[in-house]
Order: sequence, then C-alpha cells, then structure tokens
Amino acid sequence: MRHLIVVFALIILGFQANGQLYMAQNGEVSFFSKTPLEDIDALNKQVGSIINTDNNEVAVQMRVTSFVFPNKLMQEHFNENYLESDKFPSATFKGKIREVIDLKVPGTYAVTAVGTATIHGITRPIEIKGNVVSTGDQLTLSCQFDIKLVDYKIDIPKIVFAKIAEVIRVSSKINYVKK
Amino acid sequence: MKVKILFLFGMLYASQILGQDDLLNMLNQEDAKKITYTQATFKGTRFINGQTVETVAKKHLNFWISHRFGALNSGFIDNFLGLDEAKIRLGMEYGLSDVWLVGMGRSTIEKTYDFYSKYKVLRQSNEMPITLTMYGSLATNTMPTGYILPSGNIMRYENNLQRQTYMGQILIARKFTDKLSLQIMPTILHNNKVESVYFDNNLYALGMGGRYKLTNRLSLSAEYYKNIVDTKTFLKTSGAAYPYQDSFSIGFDIETGGHVFQLHFTNSKGMIEKHFIGQTTGTWANTDIFYGFNLARTFSFEPDQKNKQ
Repeated sequence: MRHLIVVFALIILGFQANGQLYMAQNGEVSFFSKTPLEDIDALNKQVGSIINTDNNEVAVQMRVTSFVFPNKLMQEHFNENYLESDKFPSATFKGKIREVIDLKVPGTYAVTAVGTATIHGITRPIEIKGNVVSTGDQLTLSCQFDIKLVDYKIDIPKIVFAKIAEVIRVSSKINYVKK
Repeated sequence: MKVKILFLFGMLYASQILGQDDLLNMLNQEDAKKITYTQATFKGTRFINGQTVETVAKKHLNFWISHRFGALNSGFIDNFLGLDEAKIRLGMEYGLSDVWLVGMGRSTIEKTYDFYSKYKVLRQSNEMPITLTMYGSLATNTMPTGYILPSGNIMRYENNLQRQTYMGQILIARKFTDKLSLQIMPTILHNNKVESVYFDNNLYALGMGGRYKLTNRLSLSAEYYKNIVDTKTFLKTSGAAYPYQDSFSIGFDIETGGHVFQLHFTNSKGMIEKHFIGQTTGTWANTDIFYGFNLARTFSFEPDQKNKQ
C-alpha cells in the first residue's frame, strides 16, 4: 500500500513535470513551387509538433501522404515518384531554439531553430527562422524556409524539369496547446 | 521494489528534461495510431482492356483514347502487319467523389456505346488487407440489324431492348509491395439477345490481373479472363466448336506527367467487357495478336488552393 502511494505520488509529480510541453496535432505546412510553366502548391493540415519550454527543444513530424494537392495526379506523382512515401513515409525536424527565452511568458518572440531535418530518408542540418506568439497557454509558430531538392536526393526527370523548381519554399503555421 | 522506485525516479527525471529525440518519439507514437491508406495500387483506372480498382479523384476527368490495330498475322503486304486498320474507343470518366466515378465511351466495334460506374467500397490500409471496387456497365449496340459476327453468325435485332448488354464485376486487389499489385475480378455478363439458341444469355468469367513496377514511371501489366463455358456441351448440341476464346493481354504502362501511355499486345480486339470477355475470337497460339495502345489524360477541375484562400 505504501509503495502504491509512492508510485501514485511519483506519477502525479511526473505529470507536473510534463507541464512544460506544448503540443500540436493539426499544424499546417505548405509548399509552393513556381516556374514559368506550372505552379505547384500543396498543404498538409495534419502536422504534429511538440515544444518543450523547459529546454526549448522542438520536434515536428508529418506524413508525406497527408500533403493535399489541387491536382490529384500531381499528388500521386509526388508520393510515388519524388518523395517515395512508401519507403519514406514521414518528414521530420528536431532541434533546439537558440534564443534564451521563456515561451511560457506571453509575448511575441523571434526564434531560430537549429537542428536536423529528415526528408526522403536524408537527414541534413538546417536552421529555420520564425516567429512565436505566446499567450501563456497557447503558442503559434510561423516560419518560412527554402528546401533545395538536390540536398534531399529528390530526382526530377529532365522532361519535367522545367515544371518543378529546384528550390521549394516551405511555409508553416502551427498552433500549440499546453499539455 | 527499490529498483522499481529508482526506475520511476529515473523516468520522472527524464520527463523533466525531454530532449528533441524523446519529443520526436512521442510524435511518432502518436502518428502510429493513425490509419495508413495504401496509395496507387495501380497507375490507371484500367489494366489494358479491363478495369482496375482505381477510381478518379473528385472533380477530375480522365479522357481515354484507345486503339487496337489489326492482327499481326494479317499479312505484311495486305495489311502492314495490322497497322493498316484500327479499331478505336473514345471514353471519358469523371470522379463524382474520391471513390465514385461515372464514365462513358464509344467503340468502333459493333458501333457500341458504353456507360459505366465504379464505386470503391473498401480501401486497403494497415487495418484492411484489400481494396474492393464494384463495377457495373451497360453496352448498347447500334449496328444495323442483320450484320455478320466474327463467329459467322448473323445478328438480328427486333427492338432496342435486345441491343443491351449488362455487366457486373467485383474487383478485389491488393498492393503486396510497392512494386507488385494483383487483382481478381469475378464477372457476370448478360446479353439481352444472343447470336444463336446454343448460347447462354449469362456468361460468367473470372478475371485476373497484375502489375509490376519496373521503374517509378514504367510498369509491366497483364490480365487474363477465364470464361466459364461448357464447351463440350456446346459442341454436342450445336455441332460446332465454341467460337470464343479467353482473353489475355500484356503490356507496359508509361507515365509522363499528366498522361499515362499503355502499349500492349492482346488477342482481343474489343475494349469493353462485352467484346473482350464475350467475343474474343483470336488466340495467342495462332498469333491472332493485336497491337494497341491506350492514352489517358487527366484534367483537374479542382480550384487551386491559393484561389480558395
């Protein structure tokens, strides 16, 4: 009985210690590629992310198949030919916010996340600049960055080369709720 | 017990300093709870002649141009190995939803119009082993009455109802690996009028098909339809051999941007079920083989996201 109490006390303490986590299940990540021939844009509304405000570490995870394109054939090609989502189902980022800030305090913060991104099975260091608006209980992160396709070994065949830009602009907006 | 308490303390300590890897693991665990649907079991909505489980996405239109040249054994001087003549089918299919399409087409052979619909009932996922699609079609023959069939029989129609053929199929497919997908399709075909009294109005067949991806944009596909016909009884009662054969086709799918090209060899000249399942006269053994191609172009009527916002 005494042990049980200890265990429960520890579990409760454990939950309290987790109070510094902010989680998001339905973050949005979109990308846009512009060439003279064709504009390509896609949106993923099921991006998961966690920020630990104790140490300002961040993780982002999304399914490649959750990107929605207006043209479904393009979506199929994106999954089947370019990102090979059967082999590499998810894209992730993990890293740390460089600035020494306490995101639990309401306010607007310019942040720089330094870490690694894994896309198409290739992991590379990346630095992402963004903005966090905190209300104390909720955080909103928005950022934009560029991805070079060659960096992640995403092959575009010569015949469709003109249709797809070599550098893709990625935008993200994620709403976190305190756990 | 002490060890357990220590372990719990350890966990407690760990939870306070959850690092980026722990956070990512948490996200991955969360993600594993979601259903994963299998994508692109086949490249196109049809193998070669028959249909696959695939449907067209919502508000997307597929335009099909299908050609079958003459038989390879029809002579070089007479018919340039069949390339002098061609049968064609023009078709269109439109996605009412992501799982439901309607389509129509018109074939040169017997001047036939066809109307069809496909509905995807089950989708393969990490919880469902197969994709199942229901497929039904109606074919309307608009030939002048009293024409001669390839089997030699003369076909006469007294009214329009006699010109209709109905077809129902259950398409069951599984994507086994990212390269290999297989499908079976039990089929029933009903001709309102048959060419002679010895034929049954209902024809049952079992189809089998598959594709193997050679590269990301090139795949090999084949399909075979086994007709369930009692040919011995047919021979006994009618005094002639059953004139129709099982259909076998093999070819390549080549995908380029918005197009799918299908190049193939088949012993069937027809491109709809009534013709290729019910009225195939050629055999591979006699090199009654037709070279052909299908060309599919997809159009999207979905507005761009940036216009929506």
